[in-house]
Amino acid sequence: MTDVTTTLRDPAHQVSPRAVTYWRVGAAIGAVVLVGLLVAAYVAMPWVMDGRPWWGTTLLVLLVAVEVAYVVAMPSIRFRVHRWEVTETAIHTRSGWISRETRIAPLSRVQTVDSQQGALMRVFRLSTLVVTTASAAGPLTIVGLDQDEARRVVADLVAITGASQGDAT
Amino acid sequence: MTDQSTVPEVEWQRLDPRLLVIGPLRALRQFLVPAVVAVFGVSRSDGMQWWWSLPIVLVPLVLGLLPWLTTRYRITGSRLEHRSGWLNKTMVTAPLDRVRSVDLESSLVQRVLGVTTVNIGTGVDETRIKLDTIAREDAAGLRGLLLAQRTATATATAPDSPDAHDFGDVLATQAPPAPVEPAEVLATIDWSWLRFAPFSLSRLVVVAAALGAFSQFADDLPLLDAEHLSGAWEWVVSFAIPLVAAVLFVLALVAWLFISVGGYVVQWFGLRLTREHGSLHLTAGLLTTKSVSVEESRVRGLVLDEPLLLRVVGGAELSTLATGVENGVTAILPPAPVSVVRRVGADVLPGTEPLDVPTLRHGAAARRRSIVRSLWLPLLLVAGAGAATVALDLPWWPVAMLAVVLLPLGVVLGESAYRHLGHALTSGHLVSGDGVTTRRRTILESEGIIGWVVVQSFFQRRLGLATLVATTAAGAESVRIVDLPVGRAVEVADAATPGLLTAWLPRRQDDRPS
Repeated sequence: MTDVTTTLRDPAHQVSPRAVTYWRVGAAIGAVVLVGLLVAAYVAMPWVMDGRPWWGTTLLVLLVAVEVAYVVAMPSIRFRVHRWEVTETAIHTRSGWISRETRIAPLSRVQTVDSQQGALMRVFRLSTLVVTTASAAGPLTIVGLDQDEARRVVADLVAITGASQGDAT
Repeated sequence: MTDQSTVPEVEWQRLDPRLLVIGPLRALRQFLVPAVVAVFGVSRSDGMQWWWSLPIVLVPLVLGLLPWLTTRYRITGSRLEHRSGWLNKTMVTAPLDRVRSVDLESSLVQRVLGVTTVNIGTGVDETRIKLDTIAREDAAGLRGLLLAQRTATATATAPDSPDAHDFGDVLATQAPPAPVEPAEVLATIDWSWLRFAPFSLSRLVVVAAALGAFSQFADDLPLLDAEHLSGAWEWVVSFAIPLVAAVLFVLALVAWLFISVGGYVVQWFGLRLTREHGSLHLTAGLLTTKSVSVEESRVRGLVLDEPLLLRVVGGAELSTLATGVENGVTAILPPAPVSVVRRVGADVLPGTEPLDVPTLRHGAAARRRSIVRSLWLPLLLVAGAGAATVALDLPWWPVAMLAVVLLPLGVVLGESAYRHLGHALTSGHLVSGDGVTTRRRTILESEGIIGWVVVQSFFQRRLGLATLVATTAAGAESVRIVDLPVGRAVEVADAATPGLLTAWLPRRQDDRPS
């Protein structure tokens, strides 16, 4: 595999290790709902057609396996990939798990800095940081920062971007 | 900025009284269908008098008067203020140096009455002030004033001098014809360009939509029920089918000629592309005259399109990518000869290098991906047809025919997309080539790049490729370069925005000491 990492150094920081649990719980909730629906559909099958055909069973087993693999594998891979760094002049994030996305924006072009916290995130004392530029294609997102650290980063970013001139387009 | 209290009060202006005619007309048109239905419904039912339907006609008439009664605007020394609304009042204030574009548009009715609508673009995206219906000569003066003011405040040392003037006075002193610099004409319509109209298929979408709308009503037409149709079909079959097909084809072709040429004339009649007050002005239109101006410093790049059919006859289309315009991509020329498009493009950029520079191809892996990508749909269709053949026990030759036609077509389209794919960097611009059948060249000023995204899917990572996205506030807000070798993607980003990536580049001992 030829990653962008061979040509561009990793951003320095990882997000909080608690993010792994956060992602896993979130994925597990989704998986439980989906598997519940699938099992219900499987149980209801004989009412719609004759018995349970072999492909129904295969499909159920496959989908459940995929969901389990997702809950087990995704969070730790995502944690390993997700990195970020803010310098005096630029912000750099990397995210994804199967596909990867690297984003870099100059701080002089930053328009807004938001931190968001959903209900599940609050349980884990995590925050999401969203940095937008004037392009709809360009928000940089750091998911799963420790909430105190997020507050510090927001303050730093606001201090740096507040000092730059122009309307950032 | 100027303190409100020290400014002598400037009088609020109303819109042109001719809006009192246009407003009710517009409202009537909006209410036309319900009004007609109501009038007919009432007149048909017994025991109701015709005057029951009066409110349905009168209410829109009164509503149409409201805009004129409730809208006021004024220009103070440094601001444009606009007040509107009756129950919900809205007040918009825009500093004059933030005015980015002043567009004039007049519908047929407005042109007959000698008035026009002025759209003033301010903030980065949304805020546009609409002065609905201004006398045509006032509008031209207002535009000159706003655009001149912008350049003046940009250069003047004291933009907040308290010389708040009445708009009327300004018009009196600055009224046209008094342009500071003569407008430089970049292009005017040349009727020999009409030959490109039938080869530009963008209008086909409109025709298809019209046909779709027609089919909605077709069900209600008396002639189109099954009985008549089968009768018509037998009548058709009794003739030679090829002959009928040929006639239909010729008819469709003639109709297309009329529609495309007519549409071209209606849209681009009287085209004038000029440069004035540091802005590009585009005026065109037979029925509705549209006038668009874009501040040149807001133009961040160009898109040069050569759709397949147009390319065959040597035509091309040109659009600008700009920030702070309603729709970031503005077509500034009709389908026109490539030479004209290139000349105007070079004028606007300015420079010919980004238009001429050959784009670098992305290599064998990118070509493979391009072909595989365009084979997906044909393979799916063939597989679907195969499955249907097995399930319904049909003969195999239709599937074979489908495969013989679709699969090579997929390969050809994939190869074509690969040939159009490419990128280049000049001293000031990022150039990206793409398109499947259309050959598109997107040119973006490096100054306008406000960030980078490098995306790698699982398959791209296996092949060492990446999609490089330059984000920008202009146009569609991003320029994508698909399937670059990943090292090249980083090189391009580093070269286009020097310094941005430095902190993360592998250190080289020779040129980066620390």
